[in-house]
Amino acid sequence: MAATSGIIGRGTVVRGNLSGSGDVVVEGRLEGTVALEDRLTVESGGKVIADVQLENLIVHGEMGGDVVAAERVVISSTAKVVGDIKAPRVVIEDGARFSGSIEMDVKLPEGI
Amino acid sequence: MAAMEKVSTPRSGAHTVIGSSIVIDGEISGDEDLVIQGTVKGKIDLKESLYVESSGVIEADIETANVEVSGQVTGNIAASDKVELKADCKVVGDIRAPRILIADGAVFKGNVDMDVKEAKGK
Repeated sequence: MAATSGIIGRGTVVRGNLSGSGDVVVEGRLEGTVALEDRLTVESGGKVIADVQLENLIVHGEMGGDVVAAERVVISSTAKVVGDIKAPRVVIEDGARFSGSIEMDVKLPEGI
Repeated sequence: MAAMEKVSTPRSGAHTVIGSSIVIDGEISGDEDLVIQGTVKGKIDLKESLYVESSGVIEADIETANVEVSGQVTGNIAASDKVELKADCKVVGDIRAPRILIADGAVFKGNVDMDVKEAKGK
């Protein structure tokens, strides 16, 4: 499912639980918890303060909260993220500001 | 800290869309148009227009300038300008607005308050 199924625009604040399938784009503000089956994109200027559970997360803006992603988390060069991330693939671009732990579920070699 | 640069792309008719596969349990507030095709429970507080499309389901009290309902709303609606109940919508709750339109085919149960000025004195 690639269609954008939700946009939280610049002038809008959502507080509470957001759940569902499809891609959601946040240009405004989202506070609470997020449980999505697909992708959440936090645009630059957007701010998400929430624990999120989803497939893919792309952050260009600001984000605070813990992230559990089934596939990939991308923290772009303009992003500011505070929180713990758990995902098989995590990308942090040059210029991004991040504070927190990252767990990629790595299988350590024997003997370590 | 460097000032946050706003690289946001200008979007014509900037607004917020809650798609049909999305459920929000909480509060939505803002100063731009809001289109709801999904489900919202809680509270909606807007300064602009709210469009509840036919797939939209709202269980919330609504405070806004304009509302256009084609879907389902359970809750009280207070609008500073206009409330329009389209054909095939289903609304249960009280409506307060200076202008209220109910189309043929709309299903509505509740009170309507157009703030009609009663004879002088108030």
